[in-house]
Amino acid sequence: MQINKKWVTGILIALLMLLINVGHVNAASDTSLKDVKDKGTLVLGTSPDYPPYEFQTTVNGNDKIVGFDISIARKIAKDIGVKLVIKKMDFDSLLVGLETHKIDMVISGMNPSDDRKKSIDFSDVYYNGKQMMLVNKADKDKYKKLNDFSGLSIGAQTGSLQYSMSKEQINNVDIKGLAKVTDLILALKSGKVTGVAMEEPTAKAYAQNDSSLAVVDPGFVSAADARGAAVGFAKKSDTLVAAANKSIKEIKDKDLINKTYLPEASNYLTKNTADNTMIHYWKYFAKGIGYTLLITAISVVVGVILGTLLALMRLGKNKIIKVIAVSYIEFVRGTPLMIQVMFVYFGIGMIVNVPALLAGIIAVSLNSGAYIAEVIRSGIGSIDDGQMEAARSLGLSQKETYKSVIIPQALKNIWPALGNEFITLIKESSIVSIIGVTDLIYQMKMVQSATYKGIAPIFVAMVLYFVLTFSLSKLLNYFEGKMKHV
Amino acid sequence: MSKIIEVNKLMKVFGKNEVLKDISESVDKGQVICVIGPSGSGKSTFLRCLNLLEVPTSGNVLFEGKDLTSLNEKDLNQLREKMGMVFQGFNLFPNMNVIENIKLAPIKVKNMSDTEADKIASNLLEKVGLADKAVQYPESLSGGQKQRVAIARALAMDPEVLLFDEPTSALDPEMVGEVLKVMKTLASDGMTMVVVTHEMGFAREVADQIWFMDQGYIQEKGRPEDVFDHPTSERAQDFLSKIL
Repeated sequence: MQINKKWVTGILIALLMLLINVGHVNAASDTSLKDVKDKGTLVLGTSPDYPPYEFQTTVNGNDKIVGFDISIARKIAKDIGVKLVIKKMDFDSLLVGLETHKIDMVISGMNPSDDRKKSIDFSDVYYNGKQMMLVNKADKDKYKKLNDFSGLSIGAQTGSLQYSMSKEQINNVDIKGLAKVTDLILALKSGKVTGVAMEEPTAKAYAQNDSSLAVVDPGFVSAADARGAAVGFAKKSDTLVAAANKSIKEIKDKDLINKTYLPEASNYLTKNTADNTMIHYWKYFAKGIGYTLLITAISVVVGVILGTLLALMRLGKNKIIKVIAVSYIEFVRGTPLMIQVMFVYFGIGMIVNVPALLAGIIAVSLNSGAYIAEVIRSGIGSIDDGQMEAARSLGLSQKETYKSVIIPQALKNIWPALGNEFITLIKESSIVSIIGVTDLIYQMKMVQSATYKGIAPIFVAMVLYFVLTFSLSKLLNYFEGKMKHV
Repeated sequence: MSKIIEVNKLMKVFGKNEVLKDISESVDKGQVICVIGPSGSGKSTFLRCLNLLEVPTSGNVLFEGKDLTSLNEKDLNQLREKMGMVFQGFNLFPNMNVIENIKLAPIKVKNMSDTEADKIASNLLEKVGLADKAVQYPESLSGGQKQRVAIARALAMDPEVLLFDEPTSALDPEMVGEVLKVMKTLASDGMTMVVVTHEMGFAREVADQIWFMDQGYIQEKGRPEDVFDHPTSERAQDFLSKIL
């Protein structure tokens, strides 16, 4: 164990130093606008679950992210003279996305709060939405002032301005923070919270699309500097900020948001809600299943190869190789998959640009390799020593013995445990949704925000996951039967 | 006659347990040696030291004049193919059918073509009387049949010596005969064999020499009629009086 600890510490220090160094390189003088112009694209990071700011809709059968934030982003890109690329991410991941240069800017109804200003730069405020409270219609007349919510539970998006404002301005209130607005609405409708603090346009959009909800103005007091939404950029992007401010000034001068962008967004909203049955969104789910299966399939193959390798390394005679294998297995099993996914995407992403899907596949594969290694090791351990002796007495090398005699038998013994691992992988792979990979969970959330329905998409996703795992388990049983001799 | 196996001052210690204490013997080409003795006397360990499945604690094992204990992994593999071994527990590969069990080593070690290996394997199955079991899996065979396949598997490498580690001890009594019959044929064909066994009748009939082992030493050796009928050591007398 002593050696293990030394190894792990060594690896951690090496990684940290790597990250610190990279950080230095990136902190060079401001070439942000030039960089964007050079590559010809402006990459926008946004969390499209916040209508009418940004949300997902289907146009002629294709997924599209729309909303007035997106219109602003297009305007900025057009003014700079580059193409706009939209990257979907969790709201929580947006700041990290900027810091690691996965994205060039954030427009996601984000308030330029003092806390955020510590880590990123902001443009001027482009829209000044009031903070409202969304409540169940039946409660509309019960809650009129902020302190009507005293002693009760309310909801707000984690890390949002509404969250901190509610905390400061309502006495003795219990705030439930969730990452997704759709989940907050669900909490409201199921009575877990009595109100959800959110921006006026969003609150109105929900009330308009769901007759059981209503908007009340409890009189939030906004700090002058933190009002409204602004465009976020990485630190030291003065030239890029200046370019955005120029576009924003024009938008404000011409009142483009109220005159053009908001009506356009509302138009999509009505279109969206015209048919919000689950069947109508089958393409969303189909796409999600496709990605979930893709990630799982590749991770299983890579995981088995890596796992076999690690198991053999661990069973081998060479002490150093053994320590490497043990450290890897212990480290990967000892850290959450979620963190591994984020580390690969954001951490490794600082050195090499890894697309979200690839990052997800890499992280899940590396993770499953560690678990499969232990399964395989136990499988190899279960083979009688006599098998090795018989093969060696015939003159077979150790390698050949493993290949022809030991591993095929071990595989048969561990098949049920391996099958279990595959099924777990289908479910665990859902964690990649946090970096915006459009797997089944991600698509489920998209359907939630597109349809304003909370429970139906969850139910559909649950059934789909079950169908996937059940079919896989049947398939594995079939192969298990085939492996039995006689 | 030329010596094919030579053992010098062989010692094997497991932890504090001295299983083999100073054994120096040799086996001539074409000789059949039967090693007998009470349980725990070190017979199996001795046999397993001959092809280095157990690494001797000290001493040397020479095969055709080459010291096995000084060889690297690759050269050792090459010499091992010349020393077939038959185990008490058969150790057939359950993931392969009978003929695949036999063909594996010729194909993988001798780089034989599949057709060539197939021919050899079929002949050997014929020889051990199991031609009709070629495509069955070991699971479906009786103990005696398994052991005969194991012998065929060892023979497929065309070895100079066959080592038998209590080949009939795990068998039901009615199956012992069929295995011994095959072994007798091999002996009469001139195969060099070292057999650890409790089958005294077989030993008496087939062996050129009986080695009686006890407490890590070869206590007595000689022609079967001498050892069995006129044992000189007290231990051999005691052992034989119990089992004969």
